[in-house]
Amino acid sequence: MQQLVDSLLGPQASVPVWVAYFGAMLAFGGLVVFGFVLPIAGITTWVERRVMGRIQSRIGPNRVGPAGFLQWLADGIKNMLKEDIVPIAADAPLFKLAPYVVMTGFIAAFVAIPFGGPLIIADLNVGILYVTAVTSLVVVGILMAGWSSNNKWSLLGGIRSAAQIVSYEIPAGLSIFPIVMLAGALSMQQIIKAQGAAPWHWFVFENPFTFLAFFIFFVAALAEGNRTPFDLPEAESELVMGFATEYSGMRNLLFFMAEWGNLYVIGAIVTTLFLGGGRLPGGLENAPAIVSIPLQFAVFFLKSYFWVLVAIWLRWTLPRIRVDQMMIMCWKYLVPLAFVNLLGTAAWMVVFPSGLEAMRIALFALAVVLGIAFLIRVRYHLRRAGLRRDELSFNPLAGARVPGLG
Amino acid sequence: MGLGAYLRNIKDAAVTIAEGLAVTASHLVRKPYTVQYPDRLPDGVRVQDTLPFRYRGILEVDLEICTACLACERACPIDCIVIDAEKDKAAGGLVMTRFDIDMAKCMYCGLCSEPCPTGAIHHTPEFEGADYSLESLVRKFVKAPVLAYKPKKGGETDPEIAPVLERGMRYVEEFAVNAEGPSEE
Amino acid sequence: MGLAGFEVEVQRHENGGLATEDMTLSMGPQHPSTHGVLRFVVRADGEVMKEAIPDIGYLHRSIEKIAEKVGWHGFMPYTDRVDYVAAMPCNQGWAMAGERLGNIEVPKRGEYCRVIATEFSRIHSHLLSVGSMAMDIGAYTPFTHAIREREYINDLLEELCGSRLTFHYMRIGGVGWDLPPGWRDKSLAFIKRFEPLVDEFNDLISYNKIYTERLANVAVITPEDAVDFNLVGPNLRGSGIKYDVRKDEPYSVYPELDFDVPVGRGEMGAVGDCFDRYIVRMREMKESCRIIRQCLAQIPSGPVIAKVARNFKPPAGDCYIRLESARGDMGWYVVSDGTSFPYRCKIRTGSFSAISIIQKLSRNLMIADLIAVIASLDLVAPEIDR
Repeated sequence: MQQLVDSLLGPQASVPVWVAYFGAMLAFGGLVVFGFVLPIAGITTWVERRVMGRIQSRIGPNRVGPAGFLQWLADGIKNMLKEDIVPIAADAPLFKLAPYVVMTGFIAAFVAIPFGGPLIIADLNVGILYVTAVTSLVVVGILMAGWSSNNKWSLLGGIRSAAQIVSYEIPAGLSIFPIVMLAGALSMQQIIKAQGAAPWHWFVFENPFTFLAFFIFFVAALAEGNRTPFDLPEAESELVMGFATEYSGMRNLLFFMAEWGNLYVIGAIVTTLFLGGGRLPGGLENAPAIVSIPLQFAVFFLKSYFWVLVAIWLRWTLPRIRVDQMMIMCWKYLVPLAFVNLLGTAAWMVVFPSGLEAMRIALFALAVVLGIAFLIRVRYHLRRAGLRRDELSFNPLAGARVPGLG
Repeated sequence: MGLGAYLRNIKDAAVTIAEGLAVTASHLVRKPYTVQYPDRLPDGVRVQDTLPFRYRGILEVDLEICTACLACERACPIDCIVIDAEKDKAAGGLVMTRFDIDMAKCMYCGLCSEPCPTGAIHHTPEFEGADYSLESLVRKFVKAPVLAYKPKKGGETDPEIAPVLERGMRYVEEFAVNAEGPSEE
Repeated sequence: MGLAGFEVEVQRHENGGLATEDMTLSMGPQHPSTHGVLRFVVRADGEVMKEAIPDIGYLHRSIEKIAEKVGWHGFMPYTDRVDYVAAMPCNQGWAMAGERLGNIEVPKRGEYCRVIATEFSRIHSHLLSVGSMAMDIGAYTPFTHAIREREYINDLLEELCGSRLTFHYMRIGGVGWDLPPGWRDKSLAFIKRFEPLVDEFNDLISYNKIYTERLANVAVITPEDAVDFNLVGPNLRGSGIKYDVRKDEPYSVYPELDFDVPVGRGEMGAVGDCFDRYIVRMREMKESCRIIRQCLAQIPSGPVIAKVARNFKPPAGDCYIRLESARGDMGWYVVSDGTSFPYRCKIRTGSFSAISIIQKLSRNLMIADLIAVIASLDLVAPEIDR
């Protein structure tokens, strides 16, 4: 983004350079937060509710706006108008501060998240380390929420969440190391540049260890985002809403927004680290900025949002893991495997300093084969359910049934 | 736990999760099951019309064919039917001055409609009965004192009463106690 | 009195100067997953419970007393409300009691109609049970799929008797309505559609690793405990004991029907854990489909109800009826004194015994497991409290 400002300013500078940079960062930051992050968090709720609806054989919201698209705005306005209840026995300052801490931890991550091409608020040279560190701030917020609610169920939820997020930092961090080793830098833009545009030049297919590291990172990132199957802190059937039970109105909404926006952060990090960011085939990247920047943004956004959809899909398929099983999974399964990946990648880099093209293509082919096998299985399920052709609908905005005829 | 069991755990987890994902993905292309009642039904479709004939909705009394036998009042376990009927020599039979059904108490069991000889009291497919006050849930069927119906030998000939009687008898004949003929299946 | 409403013994431990106390939580009457209005007072040490004491009575409606006031025929709609999730067997219990006391014989076709209705009700109830169990464990999708299938059954039963929940289908002496025209084909079409969906449900959730890890080896009920605590139905069969009232003390036309009784075999863990009880219910649904098919094929023609006086006055005496409800052996002890009002009616339900075992099972279980246990025992509050 520095280059962007430089190119806009030109050689003659009427304001000191640092003022220009600072102003540009503020402007871009404000644009990103209010124009991208918060709407994305809201729109993801709409997407989730509609996808959830179809998975559950029903329609999602479809009254407010076309296909229910304005539902999230309506929810936001409703929550702002709600009574702000602070329980009498709750620790008021902590209680009120907790949602803001969670939001801070979540929004601060966007400083170093790339949006494709040169679009990034600040290309820190410790990019990925910064993002991992700052997203852990939510633990403090959740613990504050759980404790200050003066509710034993909230306390349980807060403690569970702290244990979960802190534990799953380890496999997430360990899975990042192979990528950092391959790219040779922590900076997000550098990691993207170290990958190519073609799928088999992405880091996920680089060698079998990074392939495994991808899955470990995705699972660990889901756990950090409190998403099912790891949503014990807010397990609805056990703890009503876990740490956020006593929250009402806008404070509650802030927790929710942080959760859904975090999905996008996960998607963006996964895309940056493993899926080649917004890389375009050679010629397109060198095209004039007016063409290449939107294209790179679009490619990056589509790749990240795909993982948001996968997270939503997983949420509505899988049940919840119990606390001790979650710990076992982290420490006995994910951490050893992540270490194996780390050492394996290091060994691979020693044996094949510039990687093995055949392995990359083989892994990509494997992924394609698995995808096709999966689609065949989906077709088998449709067949077995004995559905007639008119009971299927590929229209994502399919309507409702007519009584007496269905 | 040996290495074999460890790897098998991982394999089981991956395979069963993928299976679940396949089922869920297959649901994404199925039509939803929702009926958008009440305001987004296609034109002319009323849910009430799609309900079966035996549906036990809100009670209705066709006073033209009510014989004031009081069988429904006796049968109701909750005593939500109140009928006032007196013999009136001048009018030539039983005269009903009150036929109230308290729908707030009614449990839609159908015990009143079973013993009715003409099917005057019957359940309708109507189920939208919500209202703002409890008193409005009492259905009063007698506006002015009315003479009870006397079933005529040889069938009903009055063109206004005949269809009502036919519908009433059709309703009552659905009940097993009154089915004399061969059964359906 | 404190939080619990009754005395709960809280233990203090002095650990070298640091005093710790058990946490007393109230998994109160309003909770998303206690299957009705139930309350558990949980004494826990963090996540691990020391004890979960059930507190019942929030849904008591004096149904047994009402029987003494409304008479023999008038009580039939009330039996639907005893267990509204599986209402047909409750209807059948009262009907059989009246028939036993009044020496009435139900026509064959009436018995077949009863069996069809009861088996549909069993599928109905098990769908709700497995669906809400999946929901309590965290998978919300199988619940909606189960509810969707229940809607089909609701539509069928609505055509049969006019109501979707409180059926009042059976009468003393038979059933209230004969099968409507076209109903048999619709039922067969539903069964044909439903059986592969049970397999799909199994693929989606039953054998999912996370789900089996949550349920395997959790709250193992040994066969001795199961018998001691009077468990019945899938709870008993999940512990390996093959006892089903339909096979061991047959009533109605069950001797003429061919079906298996699924029993827990410890597939994923010990025999008698939560998974066994769950999978027994899944298999019972398929067996019920088998029974319904046979009934629809074998049903004779004829009347469906015997002649019973409107003012039914059975001779004085008492009887104990046992039948297999969705939740197990349901007992109806009815005493008649010769008038048109019963003298006493006592209902024995499977959930009532099942809730008594929770206090013992919950020692050293985690709170998340308590939810799994409650769901696997298939407790429904209306049955417990009546």
